[in-house]
Amino acid sequence: MKSTKFTNYTAKEADAKWWEIGNYFRRNSIWMLMYCTGCGAIELPPAMTSAYDMERLGMGPMATPRQADVLLVTGYLSVKTLRRIIYTYEQMSEPKYVVGFGSCTINGGVYFDSYAVINRLDYYIPVDVYVAGCMPNTESILNGFVDLMGMMKNKTANGWIKYHENYEWYKANQIQAVGEVHVHDEFHE
Amino acid sequence: MKEIKLFLGPQHPGMHGNASVHMYIDGDIIKKAYMLPGMLHRGFEKGMERHSWVNNIGLIPRVCVVEPDINEFVFAQAAEMMAGIEVPERGQYIRMIILEMARIITHIMAYGGSGGPTGNYTVMYHAQEDRNRMLYIFEKITGHRVYHMYIVPGGVRKDLPAGVEDDLNEFMDDFEKRYDDYRALVLENPSVLKRITKTIPLPAEVVWELGVTGIGMRSAVNKPYDLRKVKPYLKYDKVEFDVPVMDYSDAKARIECKLIEISQSIRIIRQCFAQMKPGPVRVPLDHGQAMRWRVPKGQVYSSCESARGEFGYYVVSNGGTNPYRVGVRGASYPQGLLGIEKYLPGTRLDDAALWVDTMGVCAPEIDR
Amino acid sequence: MMNSMNNVKEIISTVEKNFDLLNHEIIDKYQVSLIVNKKEVHHLLVFLKTNGWIQLSYLTAVDWIEENEFELVYIVFNWDKPVHIQVRTRIERDVENASMDTILPIYPGCKYYEREVHEFFGIKFPGNPDYHKQLILEQFDDLPPLRKDFDPLAYAERKFPKRDYPEKFVNLEGKESEQAKRDITHERVEKLRTGGTKK
Repeated sequence: MKSTKFTNYTAKEADAKWWEIGNYFRRNSIWMLMYCTGCGAIELPPAMTSAYDMERLGMGPMATPRQADVLLVTGYLSVKTLRRIIYTYEQMSEPKYVVGFGSCTINGGVYFDSYAVINRLDYYIPVDVYVAGCMPNTESILNGFVDLMGMMKNKTANGWIKYHENYEWYKANQIQAVGEVHVHDEFHE
Repeated sequence: MKEIKLFLGPQHPGMHGNASVHMYIDGDIIKKAYMLPGMLHRGFEKGMERHSWVNNIGLIPRVCVVEPDINEFVFAQAAEMMAGIEVPERGQYIRMIILEMARIITHIMAYGGSGGPTGNYTVMYHAQEDRNRMLYIFEKITGHRVYHMYIVPGGVRKDLPAGVEDDLNEFMDDFEKRYDDYRALVLENPSVLKRITKTIPLPAEVVWELGVTGIGMRSAVNKPYDLRKVKPYLKYDKVEFDVPVMDYSDAKARIECKLIEISQSIRIIRQCFAQMKPGPVRVPLDHGQAMRWRVPKGQVYSSCESARGEFGYYVVSNGGTNPYRVGVRGASYPQGLLGIEKYLPGTRLDDAALWVDTMGVCAPEIDR
Repeated sequence: MMNSMNNVKEIISTVEKNFDLLNHEIIDKYQVSLIVNKKEVHHLLVFLKTNGWIQLSYLTAVDWIEENEFELVYIVFNWDKPVHIQVRTRIERDVENASMDTILPIYPGCKYYEREVHEFFGIKFPGNPDYHKQLILEQFDDLPPLRKDFDPLAYAERKFPKRDYPEKFVNLEGKESEQAKRDITHERVEKLRTGGTKK
């Protein structure tokens, strides 16, 4: 009787194989968090509905951050929104990805000299894909999502690992820009 | 009797834009509510003082993202009032066509957006498809889908390209054929009618107390108080159109007014094309180079009728190349901030998002 | 609508009879501006409201730093006789305690406009219950932003670091740079124009 052949994998190689299988399922059904943080969000409804249907790529909207995969930062970020985005990003469960839309996340855009808008997004949360434009076309947005899926296949979309490793650096930058990450508005007191 | 704090927060699928409404509820009834703006604040009024008069046209449409042409028009009108420039006739007709197209896409988006709070997602799909077709026509005329930068002090930048009239006629004929389908989806749909009849009515005395303008005022007060009829600007006194009024302003009346205004805007665009004659579209400014143009001293308030109400800029000029101070009066300021504080307590929890949609509260206008 | 120029003249003559008008200006047939003293603003607004100008359109302030004054502007509108009236008044530019009494009992819609003017200019409005709470900014730690002595570019460079684009170009043909020559000429011209003392 022939015995079945088992190839010997170490624990680390088996773990890598499970991640590959998981990545295949993850990149074909990305769930996007519905948060319109800035003016680039006006080009999202044509992507979500029947004009440029995003559901044929497997993507759909999701209401709560606990079950979403992708956080879209659509456009500029004011200081008040940055506090809430840090709460939201830390509530999402891993692995998670961030896509930055528009030139305002890259270098400040038209608001480089404003007292209420941040200049560079990847000092505060790690970003995987940037989509340039002011504002980007709906076809560019879909192109950006396809790039994100390609990065997930090559295992280069690891912003969330970088957040763990450099946590102190990100926190120091956040406190320099925002003062205090705790939200104090008149509702919370 | 315990009260629970609840956020209709910035990250919410039923909220239009990035603003939050904080509520204290008891069971299903709201006891206290107020709106927290400021998440979209960019410091526009300070930024406009640092750029010259013509350079500001590149910055200004970003104040309101849903309907950006009214910003350019009101700023250009203020500069022309102070400098005493008169725009040629063909330029005025083209400005009217662009403003009415912007009104159509805003009303279509709000009509479809009423599907979110009531659970009627079909009308949202129809509306976004039509809006996308109109954005292709905007790209053909001005070069950009959303931020046009087409109306400048002195006229419009360039003449209309060939074939635009046929594209617009095709869109308008197709829309009029499906007008009854749009009515049947929301206004005659028995599963939605129970949510929108006799909910959140707005009485007439409250309108003057809050300072509400636009569709909320016209449907409560029952008079055609519209800035295009009362103090006509551009060539609105040469075209014929009606302004819808109602005498009991609940959510259904306001949604119906939006649909009627779309068909009246189509009528205006057709008459504009019939009355236009060929000619120049832009007046050249002094000094040859437009970047160093100076505007004489003055303080004016120029206003126009946007899809949500009276929209105005208060512009102060010191005789220099930059404006000295610009103040923005957002059309949804009274109904967003004061309306939610005084009027929502006593209504039900599910009607909070419906108020935000039917009264036309647009968050970037409040924060700038 | 045909006799709107008469509307404007009628307003000016009625107001001149009953109040002490410092100056007036007719902008066009649908707009007029009246400049009064600080003490007369409330009486004038009550008079206008009882005569049909029942909608408050806008309330704001302007910072005239060279004349050391703030100017407050109230804009009201009447839908039956369509004229926008701007009521303007000047108060002194006290850095800590500039204040003006509230018009909340006359026009209840002014509550949030006054709160915003306090936040951006620092003008106090005693009589308005929550004018000191922040509405649009949150935990802002500098001068009120819309004053003329606040510099937004310096604040942005201090708090929000920028992306640096290092200059990576190679001069392949070995010629000298045209841009450097232009910079030297430009600097000489500036020096001659300002007499050596550049601000």
